[in-house]
Amino acid sequence: MEAVSYALKALGLPVFDLAAELGSVVDGGNRTLGIAAGLLAHAGVGIAWALFYAYFFWGRFDWPRLVQGLVFATIPAVLAVAIVVPQLHLMQLHTDIARVQWRDMPFLSAGQIASIFLVHAIYGVTVGAIYRRPVGYRAGHSPPPPPPARRMERTPDRGRRDPHGFLFATGIECSYPTIDGGRWRRDQLQSTGHYRHWQQDFELCRKMGITHLRYGPPLHLIFTAPGKYDWAWVDEPMAELERYGPEPIVDLCHFGIPDWLGSLENPDLPQALGEYAAAFAERYPWVRFYTPVNEMFVCTRMSAIDGNWNDQKEDDGAFVAIAFNLASASIAMSDAILNVRPDAVFINSESSDFTQPCCPDPQIVELAELENERRFLPLDLIYAHDLSDRMKAHVRERGIADDLLLRFRNREVPRRSVLGLDYYEWNERLIDTDGNIRSLGELFGWYVIANQYYQRYRRPMMHTETNRMDASDAPRWLWRQWHNVQLLRKAGVPLVGFTWYSLTDQIDWNIGLSEALGLVFPVGLFDLNRDVRVVGLAYKQLIDMFRDEPDFRDCKDLAELMN
Amino acid sequence: MAGFLSAHGYDPGPTQRPLLAGCIAGVLAAIPAVGVLWKFGSIFVEATILGLTVPLTLACGFAAMACAGALYGRLFGRAANDRLGGWLFGMAFGFALWAAGAAFVLPIVSRGSTPAGPAALGVAVSLLVWGFAVGLIFPIIHPYLHEKLETGSTSRDVGPRAAASNGKRAKGRGASHSL
Repeated sequence: MEAVSYALKALGLPVFDLAAELGSVVDGGNRTLGIAAGLLAHAGVGIAWALFYAYFFWGRFDWPRLVQGLVFATIPAVLAVAIVVPQLHLMQLHTDIARVQWRDMPFLSAGQIASIFLVHAIYGVTVGAIYRRPVGYRAGHSPPPPPPARRMERTPDRGRRDPHGFLFATGIECSYPTIDGGRWRRDQLQSTGHYRHWQQDFELCRKMGITHLRYGPPLHLIFTAPGKYDWAWVDEPMAELERYGPEPIVDLCHFGIPDWLGSLENPDLPQALGEYAAAFAERYPWVRFYTPVNEMFVCTRMSAIDGNWNDQKEDDGAFVAIAFNLASASIAMSDAILNVRPDAVFINSESSDFTQPCCPDPQIVELAELENERRFLPLDLIYAHDLSDRMKAHVRERGIADDLLLRFRNREVPRRSVLGLDYYEWNERLIDTDGNIRSLGELFGWYVIANQYYQRYRRPMMHTETNRMDASDAPRWLWRQWHNVQLLRKAGVPLVGFTWYSLTDQIDWNIGLSEALGLVFPVGLFDLNRDVRVVGLAYKQLIDMFRDEPDFRDCKDLAELMN
Repeated sequence: MAGFLSAHGYDPGPTQRPLLAGCIAGVLAAIPAVGVLWKFGSIFVEATILGLTVPLTLACGFAAMACAGALYGRLFGRAANDRLGGWLFGMAFGFALWAAGAAFVLPIVSRGSTPAGPAALGVAVSLLVWGFAVGLIFPIIHPYLHEKLETGSTSRDVGPRAAASNGKRAKGRGASHSL
């Protein structure tokens, strides 16, 4: 910016030298010193504006980066012309009080005003060009590791009091898919500050009365090569959880895989992840609860149909291949864990979806039926459930052999498998007359949708994720989800836990992490400063109200599962 | 404006007291700012322009800075709690105050009179110092004013009644039975 300003000046153009003007206020007769001070002050102002751009302006509009920077730069440009320049003139007067009249203002020539806007435009474009991806990191790199544990007072863990108590859970959001053709790694543990605040995060859970924590150590940072593990990422946090609680539900694979494994279609993936699960279970043999692969359907859809993560494909064949591969991985991981910990409990979290056709148009109905069958595919595979005839034909057409189908069908499902169902306001969808999918909001509700899953699999269940992007409405949403849980229990469904997801606000939640914008969404029990949100208060009241009720203190469905 | 200030999920909600925290931070931050005004002689110039005594000018200044601090807390919401970025937000706000106050409000109140020379420089520097200080102080004092988890979670407003739309009592046929 300054270089262009001086270059234009050298060309004899009527450039207004803001830095020199700034410096002249303090030069005390030494012009060189004045210019140096002015440049320094202007650089400081530029840095402050850039930080302001990053914090409050960036990503608010769906504009190209350079345009965002350019538009932003008009703010300091206007302020410079309207406020700063006149005030600098006032500061140079040899009097204490001046009479300000419009006609006395130091009017700038059109050329000088244009030069101010031009150099600010260059500044804006530069800031726009430089500021690209504020969250995540280049694939293959690592963020700073978690700091060591420090001494602190700890709240007693409520979960230990009642071995068969209902699971009042939350989670630390830990998604780590790659985007941008595999070149950029999203890492929510980093973006939300968990690596820095891990100890405080666990303490907040204990203060809330949380009994169980969905916790996903960063697979991509720990599992560095076949047979090689960097446990430094998780040793201390796991030691803290073991000693002080809450009890973790360890989420081994959450939307991403290590760089060296490449693609979700990699046939070596199940064996590799099985090896990781075995190593994890051996290192932390006290862990009882596992989610081998989180939301297989969502991971597959986002990676193979929506083209957002990992393989970034938009291909139904890839969807089928990845769904089968992730299901195989989930099974390999469960088997490996059972070898180490035969009484392990598997919470198989999945998104609870439903798609409604808008009208009797056969094509729309067909699309909705396909969606409603496709949602079950990964769960059908790990729970050895028959695929529907339509889905069988669908996967056969995409290269799945009958003997593979038979292998899944004949699998002996671990007895302690819990169907975890996640539910958000966009899980119920409508296929519109134009074939586009639209969110329906809470139409039938979790009770109805979860019951569809229960009737299909007949497994113990847990509500494993919910939240609300409108923070002020979150308590209403929390209690309504809770009423769904209670009603389902009363209807005889063995439901062992409930989860508000997540402990803290999340980053880029509204766009499914598909771009590294770094925008904060207030879905957490706590904000990113670790200050409680109103839904945090509501969840604590909920836990306090129900945890000592006999039906929750000694949850017979959980007792049956654990025995 | 609010949309642009949505870092950290903006809305402080009922658990925080940004106005009170801003008030206190504004008054505390005014102490170093007054030091700057004194050093540059700006405080005497302002008193002359406003036709007030210096103590009365200082009193008005502290009151104004308390209000400005509250406005800072209201505008920046949860972002003002950020210990890393607070100083920057405060300085930006101090700059805005200077731009609005020095360039517009003071000349209007004094019918065209405004500080000039070193006094004008002192006003600008003092407001930047005030902003810097308010941004630093705010996140330090605010946690002491927050609703605590233990007490806040007992409020009926966050209890089961929240499940009903807008927390309102049901009206209409068949909905008015009470126990």
